[in-house]
Amino acid sequence: MKKTHILAIIVIAIAIGAILSTVSDSSTYSNFSEAMENPGKEYHVVGQLNKEAEMTYDPELDANLFAFHMIDNNGEEQLVHFAGSKPQDFERSEQIVLVGKYENDTFQASKILMKCPSKYNEGQPGEMQEFTAEGANT
Amino acid sequence: MEINYIGEHLWAGQLGQLSIIIAFVSALVAAVGYAFASKNDAAFNEWKLLSRSAFSLHIISVFGIIGTLLYMLYNGMFEYHYVWQHSNSEMPMRYILSSFWEGQEGSFLLWLFWHAVLGAILLMTAKKWEAPVMAVFALVQMFLVSMVLGINLNDIIRIGSSPFLLLRDHPDFANLPFLQNAAYLDRLDGRGLNPLLQNYWMTIHPPTLFLGFASTLVPFAFAIAGLWKKKYTEWMKPALPWTYFGVMILGTGILMGGAWAYEALSFGGFWAWDPVENSSLVPWITLVGAAHVMVIQKNRGQSLIMTFVLTVSTFILILYSTFLTRSGILGDTSVHAFTDLGMSGQLLVYLLAFLFLAIILLILRWKEIPKSKDEDSLYSREFWMFIGALVLVISSFQIMFTTSIPVWNKLLGTNLAPPLDPIAHYNSFQIPLAIILSILIAVTQYFKYKKTDPQQITKGLTIPFIVSLVGTAAIGYAMHYTNIMYLVMLFTSLFLITANLNYWISVLKGKVKVAGASVAHIGFGMILLGAFLSTSKTQIISMNTSGTDVESLGSEGDFSNRDNILMMKGDTLRMADYFVTYVGKKKEGVNVFYQVDYLTKSESSYNLEFSLHPRVQTNPRMGNIAEPDTKHFLHKDIYSFVTYAEVETDEAKKEPEEYKNTSTKQVSPGDTLFAGTAIVIFNSFDREVKAEEFGIQEGDIAVAANLTAIDISGKRYDVRPIYVIRDRMALPIPGELNELGLRFVVNKVIPEQGQVEIAVYEKPDNYREFIVMKAMIFPWINILWAGCLVMIIGTVMAIRRRLKS
Repeated sequence: MKKTHILAIIVIAIAIGAILSTVSDSSTYSNFSEAMENPGKEYHVVGQLNKEAEMTYDPELDANLFAFHMIDNNGEEQLVHFAGSKPQDFERSEQIVLVGKYENDTFQASKILMKCPSKYNEGQPGEMQEFTAEGANT
Repeated sequence: MEINYIGEHLWAGQLGQLSIIIAFVSALVAAVGYAFASKNDAAFNEWKLLSRSAFSLHIISVFGIIGTLLYMLYNGMFEYHYVWQHSNSEMPMRYILSSFWEGQEGSFLLWLFWHAVLGAILLMTAKKWEAPVMAVFALVQMFLVSMVLGINLNDIIRIGSSPFLLLRDHPDFANLPFLQNAAYLDRLDGRGLNPLLQNYWMTIHPPTLFLGFASTLVPFAFAIAGLWKKKYTEWMKPALPWTYFGVMILGTGILMGGAWAYEALSFGGFWAWDPVENSSLVPWITLVGAAHVMVIQKNRGQSLIMTFVLTVSTFILILYSTFLTRSGILGDTSVHAFTDLGMSGQLLVYLLAFLFLAIILLILRWKEIPKSKDEDSLYSREFWMFIGALVLVISSFQIMFTTSIPVWNKLLGTNLAPPLDPIAHYNSFQIPLAIILSILIAVTQYFKYKKTDPQQITKGLTIPFIVSLVGTAAIGYAMHYTNIMYLVMLFTSLFLITANLNYWISVLKGKVKVAGASVAHIGFGMILLGAFLSTSKTQIISMNTSGTDVESLGSEGDFSNRDNILMMKGDTLRMADYFVTYVGKKKEGVNVFYQVDYLTKSESSYNLEFSLHPRVQTNPRMGNIAEPDTKHFLHKDIYSFVTYAEVETDEAKKEPEEYKNTSTKQVSPGDTLFAGTAIVIFNSFDREVKAEEFGIQEGDIAVAANLTAIDISGKRYDVRPIYVIRDRMALPIPGELNELGLRFVVNKVIPEQGQVEIAVYEKPDNYREFIVMKAMIFPWINILWAGCLVMIIGTVMAIRRRLKS
């Protein structure tokens, strides 16, 4: 076998490895009920903040715990715990993407992506902002 | 009904739009003209003359478009949507360039500008390559100008988005009531430049990055010209310096983006594998690969196909990156993609047109492209350089494949979300690849082309190997590395640096003229080393030491990570080697700065080392954004940002609070009272109350209670509430301690027991301002920035050498 062929095989093998790892590392957009059925598995859940429900953030007690209620795109409401400080302007958010898993009767978010409406063009979506929980990557 | 609007400068928009149309048509004429001109190899022909004039006109009109838009921004012509959207009358003029390229249209103009400049240089220097190369250039320019054309073919199809569109013609503003007023301009001010972008980075980063983008067109144009004119190898000589130039500028632009993110954004680092970052990194990687295979080709005449593939891919990937960031396809996955202007279709056409052009040319010429018959020896430089190029291809493929997840979703109808932990995902591939690459860069220089004596290689590499091993042991011990992968990473980056340094000194005999590659490689090694040290040993120092028992919160075992420190205004807390104090906040425009003093303690006192002012920007477009502040030392950075704080600086609203009675007690001298913010000692009572002080009249009986309050930090406050009896009526005069939010009232005096009854009043919410802050140390990050400079210097040296030969 020629060296070129060996090289080609190695390159293709690594490329396939890259594709497989991407597929296995990626998650899926989902909803709360699916997350609830598979506790411990990570999901992206898209939804909106329930502005009526209580939001808890008391930094003097714990600067790394923020609790709120989110309604997912299926209309299901769920208590969410986020191990970080409350994102600035969270009340104004119009769309939230949570990354996290279902555990101990709550959805534990490790990341929050939120979109606030632009103050200038009403109805136009604003830019996306990202908030990561403390120690989520460690 | 036609309204005659007052005060509009319609001529400016017309001039700009006319320039756009001229730029488009002249690019088209130049492309066609140069295509015909390239049929004839003669140095001069009519077609060439025509095309030169057309391209010159194109350059002038591109400058005309840019000049007009700048003039409009300078004079605040808010009747134009782009000017309204990106500037306002309060904006300082130093941000005029930032507002120029804040929007999509402006950044396309910036790109056009650099192409025009590079095109002008090539027009004068390309000589026999002028016609085919400039034909490609003009074609690209034509497509690019079409992005700002702003012509509606019908209601649905629109070609480009023009920066010269009037506000009142913009769909968002159609039929708005204020436009019924002929003098609407009198009261109109612009929306302004996003405050987040009002810094010098926004002035220097986009032009550098776009010059990098633009410079990838030069090798692409030469490669296409080479295929087209069947000069399969000659095109590389003029293209190589440009490729180096692209590597340098694009690399600088990308790292500048990283530096910006590190200095001004609060995600805590200089690289986050964000789709936008990735999409400009990938073409840089392929461009580096292209530069190296060009060198192989030049010296040995091999890897020709790979040279074409990498050179073409680089430019296509630049277009793809533009498509990703501007089509809105990244949507939810990226924080800083452009918003969709509805031009994704046009961008896609553009991308596919050049992709197919390149593929068809390659297929047509495939048989003719010379291929080497004999295999490279394992002991040849070209073999290992080629392997290096393959590693780069794999690296860029892996990054691009994951970054393109939203594209796969669109194409395949899947519903994949990006990796939950992108940094870990990318690192799992890129770190091993970086290790392999480091070894290749270290070793390959010691190989000669064709065939090398293996003994020579081991001889040359012995010293660097030993030095790196010792270095790894020393650094690993000093910085407590135990992870084997980390030690390997540390060793290979040191090996890369020392091997290239040694090559420069012992093989090249320290000659500066030929050292470009070695110096650039040393720079790259320093970047890897700095990135590795600073990210692997990032230390979060803002542990919660505020004294509140967080463990008692119990049930949520998950929240054990205490990365944020809560600081009450005025308190001094321990944080790593420092004591920190939150001093207070100050509002400047949209920014609220929080001053945090870093102190060290000597025997009796605190000494101020430095102050940091992390800020929260109350951004009208994006909400509140935390921006970090960093203290730079030679060997480390202390990086901090506010994660939670009161933004309101109006202290007055906290004032009108009622005192509430919290305890009442009969006390003898020496007894203690407890309040929320202090311990209070009742020292004594006396009757020596000075009349004038308290408005006591003759005949009054006054008793004063002497109290001392001691707060949490041990500070003592004296206070003297007074009990007055006038005409048998009790008239207590309270004593107040505003600092502690406390008030004391003597209710009665019981002389026979030697006691007084004291009531303690406290403010219900004994409010003290606080911030929650995160702080971390990035060790040795300066090696990374120094590495960038070294790499730039090395590349400049290499370009000089190529230009001379």
